[in-house]
Amino acid sequence: MRKFFGTSVVAISAAAMLALAGCGSGRDGDSGSSGEAAKGFAANSLIGVALPAKTSENWVLAGDLFTNGLKEAGFQGDVQYAGASTTVADQQAQITAMVTKGAKVIVIGATDAAQLSTQVAAAHAAGVKVIAYDRLITNTPDLDYYVAFDNFKVGQLQGQALLDGMKAKKPNGPYNIELFSGSPDDNNAGVFFDGAMSVLKPAIDKGDVVVASGQKDVKQTAIQGWKAEGAQARMDQLLTSTYGSKELDGVLSPNDTLARAILTSVKGAGKPTPIVTGQDSEVESVKSIVAGEQYMTINKDTRNLVKETINMVKALQAGNTPQVNDTKSYNNGSKVVDTFLLPPVAVTKANAAEAYANDPKLAPLTK
Amino acid sequence: MSRLKDLQKNLFGGTTSNARQFGMIFTLVAIVLIFQVWTNGLTLRSDNLIALFQQNSYILILAIGMLMVIVAGHIDLSVGSVAAFAGILVAKSMTEWDLPWPVAILFGLAIGAIIGAWQGFWVAYVGVPAFIVTLAGMLLFRGGNQFIGNANTIPVPEGFREIGSGFLPEFGPNTGYNNATLLLGLAAAVAVVWRELRARNTRRAMDADPAPMWVSILRMAIMVGVIAFATLRFASGRVGTSFPISGIILLVLVIAYSFYTRNTAGGRHIYAVGGNSRAAELSGVKLKRVNFFVMMNMSVLAALAGMIFVARSAASGPQDGNGWELDAIAAVFIGGAAVAGGIGTISGSIVGGLVMAVLNNGLQLEGVGTDKVQIIKGLVLLLAVAIDVYNKSQGRFSIIGSLMRPFRRDDPAAPVSPPDAEREPAKAAVSG
Repeated sequence: MRKFFGTSVVAISAAAMLALAGCGSGRDGDSGSSGEAAKGFAANSLIGVALPAKTSENWVLAGDLFTNGLKEAGFQGDVQYAGASTTVADQQAQITAMVTKGAKVIVIGATDAAQLSTQVAAAHAAGVKVIAYDRLITNTPDLDYYVAFDNFKVGQLQGQALLDGMKAKKPNGPYNIELFSGSPDDNNAGVFFDGAMSVLKPAIDKGDVVVASGQKDVKQTAIQGWKAEGAQARMDQLLTSTYGSKELDGVLSPNDTLARAILTSVKGAGKPTPIVTGQDSEVESVKSIVAGEQYMTINKDTRNLVKETINMVKALQAGNTPQVNDTKSYNNGSKVVDTFLLPPVAVTKANAAEAYANDPKLAPLTK
Repeated sequence: MSRLKDLQKNLFGGTTSNARQFGMIFTLVAIVLIFQVWTNGLTLRSDNLIALFQQNSYILILAIGMLMVIVAGHIDLSVGSVAAFAGILVAKSMTEWDLPWPVAILFGLAIGAIIGAWQGFWVAYVGVPAFIVTLAGMLLFRGGNQFIGNANTIPVPEGFREIGSGFLPEFGPNTGYNNATLLLGLAAAVAVVWRELRARNTRRAMDADPAPMWVSILRMAIMVGVIAFATLRFASGRVGTSFPISGIILLVLVIAYSFYTRNTAGGRHIYAVGGNSRAAELSGVKLKRVNFFVMMNMSVLAALAGMIFVARSAASGPQDGNGWELDAIAAVFIGGAAVAGGIGTISGSIVGGLVMAVLNNGLQLEGVGTDKVQIIKGLVLLLAVAIDVYNKSQGRFSIIGSLMRPFRRDDPAAPVSPPDAEREPAKAAVSG
């Protein structure tokens, strides 16, 4: 009985397994070899675009431009945003789903630049080309291209504008300033800050410019997740702790969302408006600049960036090598990534009308 | 007794808890099939199945611990923060203190145990409600994560990544499949058949009527068929991919914890405490010890889930763990646990978690945005529980009620049967 029992267990299960194994199709093997990629792919292929959560106008605009631009170019676009709270896990799942669906190129605006290497590797293994959009994906040898604005230059422009703005308002220093930087998990935040400090540091060393709170380290100045409420809270605290009697002349802010939060905080405390920098040319900030509140922003025309990215996709589709203009500077920790850099433009009240002349949404605001 | 009645009574009905899983599993299968058709076969393709398990194993691991916490009548809001806190410490321990990765995993589990002991102490011995203790823990350990990591993203070494993104190895002759996965599947099939035959022998030994032989064979055929299908899917992934290691960790935990909660005195004490803590205490259950254990256990599993996520992401980041507690809690309630405690099963929670996971995955394959996915998931959670509550209060026959009944342990042991027009009136009278 016992023997029969054991034998029948194995026999029944093995028979069933074998029966089903007979119907199986075997494994997929190495799909999408590099040789195939070199020849390009079908003109109506699926192109995946994975963007971070909709925390700034810029990403919403980019998503719309990708949707329309890919459609015009004849591709099937699949544009996805990460959710508001579970950003990294969402983006990982979205990229994997795009690979499953058979996307030929995946464009990624990373929500955390260091946490996507597994998904990028899976895409690469499936023969998918991966383009990092605006944010460099780090610690992966499988990233193909990077397209972005020159972010060090962005920081330099911000630093220079801050100095110019303060000088124009009050001819002689020393000037009291405070520093803000972006989210520490965004590779660009450090680059902006370093760019700005490359301009500000000599002035600080000379004593012309004083960071009155003493908070100069990027870890002290960082605003997690680029969140406006974080910047506002930090500014509130700085005003209370440091600017009871002192005058605040300028604030280095890495982008417009934070700049407006900083201005809100200063206004709430009843202090005079300092020189505040920004970036991204968001509608509210352009209005603020025209009204004389925020001092400057950076125009990184998202249209151009999306256009360049779609040009890369088109080149890959035709089997050509996409055009790049920097093959040395962007090391992601595993390799130097071929990069196409676009130049940013500094915008103040003085040149706003000229800078936004071609922008259907912003041009009317400057008139 | 007609053959149909035999089938009703014995295939998935009867009173064995094994058979009672049918309802929820039926829902899961329906969702899978709907998406399989809607996505033109992408849902069940091997690469998608593999990704599905890799993406959700950490949430399902959390759901195991959360089920026990909820059954005991508590809640744990801190799991995401605990996971992130353990994740950053483990990442730092490897990159900065050069701990070898197996030691780092033990270190991570130890951190989970220490945090769990801290939270368990407040819940069990001081008597602060778990909601408050873990709300505090949520802030405490999220802050701890940012403090230790300086809100940076810290990469982890290759070996460690295996627990989150690794697969069963390739070895042996080229069969066109991953041999390790085939062996695993064969083992699972043998286990299923062995269990069925042993159950028959036990019933015979107890002089009880075993189910008719043909029903047993049908049941075995269905289960072995499902296992064989899944095995072949996982084994036929792209070379280098197969059944994920995080899936193995999950399987081991599910089996171990299912056994613990179902078949051991310690596990049954958790249900007793959740059902009626005073009565349990008076019957000799060590209330404090049970409460301490479930809270501590939850944090250990949270630390494990955090490590698996970090391993899969190849780095520990400041946003790790955001919102995980809600996913885990949703899985447990969709899986039929009661808010008041005392009711729920591990396997129900896993199936509940898989329902959410398949929904998420299928909608993403269809290119539905995360905004809409969140809306749909929210509605599914609300409706699944609401329809059940409503129908129960009306005393009507409810499909979901009968689907969920397998997970309600306080129910009288009325035999569960598939909805059947002929039997419906009788049923309504019984449950009314």
